[in-house]
Amino acid sequence: MTDIIHFNQVGYRYPGGKDVLSDVTFSLGRGEMAFVTGSSGAGKTTLLRLVGLLCKPTRGQVMVDDVNLASLKNGDIAPFRQRIGMVFQNFNLLYDRTVFDNVALPLVIRGFAYSDVQRRVRAALDAVGLLNREKSSPLTLSGGEQQRVGIARAIVSKPALILADEPTGNLDPEMSKEVMKLFERFNQVGVSVLIATHALHLIVHMPHRIIHLDGGKITARRPRTPVLSDLPPFPGEDSRGR
Amino acid sequence: MAAEESLQVQPLPLMQRLTQEHTRVFFFSLGKLGRNPVGTLLTALVIGVALALPAGMHVLTQNLSKISYSWQDSLQLSLFLKDSVSTERGAALAREIRGRPGVQATRYISREQSLAEFRSQSGFGDALDVLQDNPLPAVIAVTPERGRNKLQVEVLLGELTRLPEVDLAKLDQKWLERLYAILGIIDRAVFIVGLLLGIAVVVTVGNTIRLDIEARREEISVMKLIGAPDSFIRRPFLYTGFWYGLAGSVFALVLVLAGTLALSGPSETLASLYDSSFTLSGLSFGSSLLLLLTGIVLGWIGAWITVWRHLADIQPQ
Repeated sequence: MTDIIHFNQVGYRYPGGKDVLSDVTFSLGRGEMAFVTGSSGAGKTTLLRLVGLLCKPTRGQVMVDDVNLASLKNGDIAPFRQRIGMVFQNFNLLYDRTVFDNVALPLVIRGFAYSDVQRRVRAALDAVGLLNREKSSPLTLSGGEQQRVGIARAIVSKPALILADEPTGNLDPEMSKEVMKLFERFNQVGVSVLIATHALHLIVHMPHRIIHLDGGKITARRPRTPVLSDLPPFPGEDSRGR
Repeated sequence: MAAEESLQVQPLPLMQRLTQEHTRVFFFSLGKLGRNPVGTLLTALVIGVALALPAGMHVLTQNLSKISYSWQDSLQLSLFLKDSVSTERGAALAREIRGRPGVQATRYISREQSLAEFRSQSGFGDALDVLQDNPLPAVIAVTPERGRNKLQVEVLLGELTRLPEVDLAKLDQKWLERLYAILGIIDRAVFIVGLLLGIAVVVTVGNTIRLDIEARREEISVMKLIGAPDSFIRRPFLYTGFWYGLAGSVFALVLVLAGTLALSGPSETLASLYDSSFTLSGLSFGSSLLLLLTGIVLGWIGAWITVWRHLADIQPQ
């Protein structure tokens, strides 16, 4: 399995500030799903921001989809981001547009024909169970539904990689499980998924790799396990799996 | 599966994509302005007034030029003949001069006619009785052909001056030259006012777009997050500038037209008092087109400068 993300001794320091990430080395294979965990301030979001080119590493090398991100010029950043689906804790939807328009945006940006846009947006909304809400305003949706709109927008252009930063942070437990299942479904059709979350209780029983960050360093890793009963214990997991 | 479908469905070819995108933004930006009609109208009105001022001044100078041109047509050369030239020779000379190229008409005024005219018009009739001789020379009034420019008239004047019967030849156009100088100043003033108000239009549009950018900061940030290039984000704002410029210049056209209509009656009344058939002209088709184009270009420039300055400040978080 080739890697879609490869971090090699990556560090990031805020200008004039402290190190947020130090010597982070890890890879995400193509078609793999993995979680980045850690407490607030551990560096999870920064790690995802580095992958999405929302900031640049102060040390080390980040490769995404065979592209060395340091080699990208300013004009290459937007086309690069079009290749990634991003999902956010606060949904980042456009509230003056309909659900359909929000999901269609990545395709409109890339210049797809309207007929293709309609077909693919409806397919994406169908995949997240919101086909009947395409004409609604996101303001009329629940938090879980808004997050599903965000996920539909992330998958509509069929990216090879989805990044999700605390996608369940604003959702209730039931909706959080639903959202995680959605990510697993997309992963099952070959999409690589990297999710930053501090909701350990949601993921410890999932058979995916976990990379644990503490103070900007990787302090623990749990390998992917195909059988749930083989899951080893993980730092932070209590006796109830929470 | 994803790879299979991505092979089937690809973005449109560049030209088709640009056509589709520009059509979309064309109507999207228009619709966005239409959803805020009061704000849009006020901005367009400000732009309209700013454009109408230089356009109105341009109309004024055009009309003054038209008047002065008709005055130039009535220019006459006055040839003062030597006292030794007889009345018969003077009249014959007037006929000879009328046959010259560049001359439309001549009129011979004998010494006696000159004196009679002066006596009746000057109010110094009694004073003339004191004089033993008629001090006034005979004059041939020469009207150059219509459309002759100043240089051609001056060449004609030089030729006529050299005639042996002519004592003095005079082209009294100082007052016209002064008028032209005044028109020149007004023309320059129109240019300066136009330049300043053009800057005002750019600033007005720029400021309106800046507020729009601020209001849509989050939207822009989200668009950057999902991979929208600057050209995609910039486009609606540039079209907004285009619409503001177009609406403003249409307002300006209406204002100038209204002003012309309001002044045409009084100006014709004034002209009739001077036995003139002068009518006030508005903006020509070409000038109207230029005004529309100027408004659009200024609106676009204002939008471009603002978007260029502020878009880079917004980075996705």
